[in-house]
Amino acid sequence: MTERPDTSMDQRETVFIVDDDASIREGVSNLLEAVGINAKCYATAEGFSAHWSNAMAGCLLLDARLPGIGGVEFQERLRTSGAQIPVIFMTAHGDIPMVRKVMKAGAVEFLTKPFQKEELLNAVEQAFASDRARRMEKAILDSIQARIDSLTPREREVMDMVAIGLTNKEIAERLYLSVVTIKLHRGQVMRKMQAESLADLVKMSEKINTHRSGAK
Amino acid sequence: MKAANEIRLTDWGMEYAVRPCAIASFFVFMAFLWTMPLQHVIAYPFVFLFFGAIMGSAWFGGIVAGFVAVALSSLIITYFFVPPLYSMYVAKESQSFFAAFILCSIAITVVSSSRKRAENAIRVARDQLEAKVQERTAELRQSNLEIKESERQLRILTEAIPQQIWRTDSQGCVEYCNQHLCDYLGQRTEELRGEAFFNAIHPEDKPLFYQGWQAALKSGDRFEIEARVRAGDGSYRWFLVRSIPQRWEDGQIARWYGIHIDIQQQHRAQQNLVQAQDDLARMQRLLSMAEMAASIAHELNQPLTAVVTHAYACREWLQAKPANIERASATAEKIVQESTRAGVVVRRVRALFQKEEQVRELTSMNRLIQELAHVLRDEAIRKDVSIRLLLAHDLPQSEMDPVQIQQVILNLAMNGMDAMMQVAKPRELILRTEHHGVGEILVAVEDHGPGIAPEAAARMFEPFFSTKPQGTGMGLAICRGIIEAHDGKIWAENSVRGGAILQFTMRSQS
Repeated sequence: MTERPDTSMDQRETVFIVDDDASIREGVSNLLEAVGINAKCYATAEGFSAHWSNAMAGCLLLDARLPGIGGVEFQERLRTSGAQIPVIFMTAHGDIPMVRKVMKAGAVEFLTKPFQKEELLNAVEQAFASDRARRMEKAILDSIQARIDSLTPREREVMDMVAIGLTNKEIAERLYLSVVTIKLHRGQVMRKMQAESLADLVKMSEKINTHRSGAK
Repeated sequence: MKAANEIRLTDWGMEYAVRPCAIASFFVFMAFLWTMPLQHVIAYPFVFLFFGAIMGSAWFGGIVAGFVAVALSSLIITYFFVPPLYSMYVAKESQSFFAAFILCSIAITVVSSSRKRAENAIRVARDQLEAKVQERTAELRQSNLEIKESERQLRILTEAIPQQIWRTDSQGCVEYCNQHLCDYLGQRTEELRGEAFFNAIHPEDKPLFYQGWQAALKSGDRFEIEARVRAGDGSYRWFLVRSIPQRWEDGQIARWYGIHIDIQQQHRAQQNLVQAQDDLARMQRLLSMAEMAASIAHELNQPLTAVVTHAYACREWLQAKPANIERASATAEKIVQESTRAGVVVRRVRALFQKEEQVRELTSMNRLIQELAHVLRDEAIRKDVSIRLLLAHDLPQSEMDPVQIQQVILNLAMNGMDAMMQVAKPRELILRTEHHGVGEILVAVEDHGPGIAPEAAARMFEPFFSTKPQGTGMGLAICRGIIEAHDGKIWAENSVRGGAILQFTMRSQS
């Protein structure tokens, strides 16, 4: 895997509008374009799904009442399928139980049609920020993962033991190696992981571990 | 026990010892008496009378008497008639004669007694046969009586049964009508022969009736039809006419039996039910106005949202440096289009809600609720709710649009039943009417549900307020609109018994 320090700039952030009503799609995309935000329109949830990948930047502006699969179910499906795009809901009538449900499921905002420009732009900004943070996190994880992948199996063993706080001597005993060899491996690990200090290395190790357990 | 045994023993002795011995002794003694004098007249040795005695003994006394007679005869002949006389000795030259005598005697005994037994058996069999024949004859006589009686009963039944019964021959010609049918039609059986019967069928039902009957006659299938039949006084009632053929053993139709069942009541009830179902459908249509309102709001919201967003965009295009006039004017064009679309929606809705003439009919609220309870029955059964009516008698009539008021009560009742879905049985919905001051009546719909939450109580009659996941929040708002249009008041409160009471007042005739 190649190193990618920050992907927020290499792709334009886009608002993906999913609404079955063409006039809403046109209106919202026109407004977003006018304020300089990239927008893409889809009439159906399926159309969006076919196009989307987690590597893409942006947020989803979703009509809560979609023909076929409803907006709420679609959000649920996105979540279970592991898509991490932030979702803003739009609906024609405020239905409190529905609002509660989608907000609980992680929606950024719930807009009641017709909405004001600021409401929309604030929501989009918030969603973008959340998406950016997501991608940043992902980029960091990816880069750590890439560095870990460059370690030899022995070096990885040494790194795991260092990370849980064992001394060189203890590691040497466990692996039936001399302390000098361990020191050599350890230096190699620090260099490959680009860790400035022991604390840095431990942090990286923890991050990747929590992500892994989280992914599970 | 012992006594019984002894009696049986003596019976046995009588039967097989004393009686045979007596009979044998009698016959042998008679033969002896006759032989004594006759031997001097007829040639020696004259013993043939003894054969007669043995035969008689065996005949009348059975085989035991026969053998006793043989033994006695042998002794007497040995002593009196075989030389040397008056001794038990048999001379050598007489021995063969004597042996022949004994053999013949035994043969006579056996033949005679078995002959007698056979004759006896025949006689017993004949007696039994005769007894049986007599018994059968009596039985036959009895069963004939019974058949006659049951025939009489059957006839009484056909006359007494409160139904109209008839019988025709295999060709469909009336043979018999019971008294009820004759009374109803006001005609006698003789007058109903042939086509006359069909003249009593209502002209509208006659063609179908005639056709069906002819088809049944041809096919031999059972015949069943509902038709109006004219009574003697010229009025018509609905009857279920049913007929089945009776067949001979070879499958040929012997005759047809028919019955007319009066279904006037059921028919009226059925018509009422159809009417009630129509009413319910109409009310459901009205109820769905709530859903329609929600969908109108949605439809209006779409172009409105587009207009608002386009308008913002237009401003942005104009404020850009330099201003993007091309995009701005294209956007303005879009605003016009979307506004027009919104206008169309509004016009359509207005056409839909074109204020119709207000209906006000003098109606009995109690009757209205009774009708409604009928309509609600299916729903109540489905939801396991019992409906109780507590209707004030002498409730004055009110000026109202009955359809709208029924719609209100229906809505309240449906809400009440829904509210009770969450609570345990028994679920009871009470529809109550009462006087409420002078010139006012009150209608209350009371449920045993969880009651109304305080925060809901204040807002429940507002549009778009709903506590149901699928609710539109329009039902109670429409109810309030209708009641207020009737100069009434609608409100809700919690019952002291738990549950909610939704009630409204209306002006009535004082």
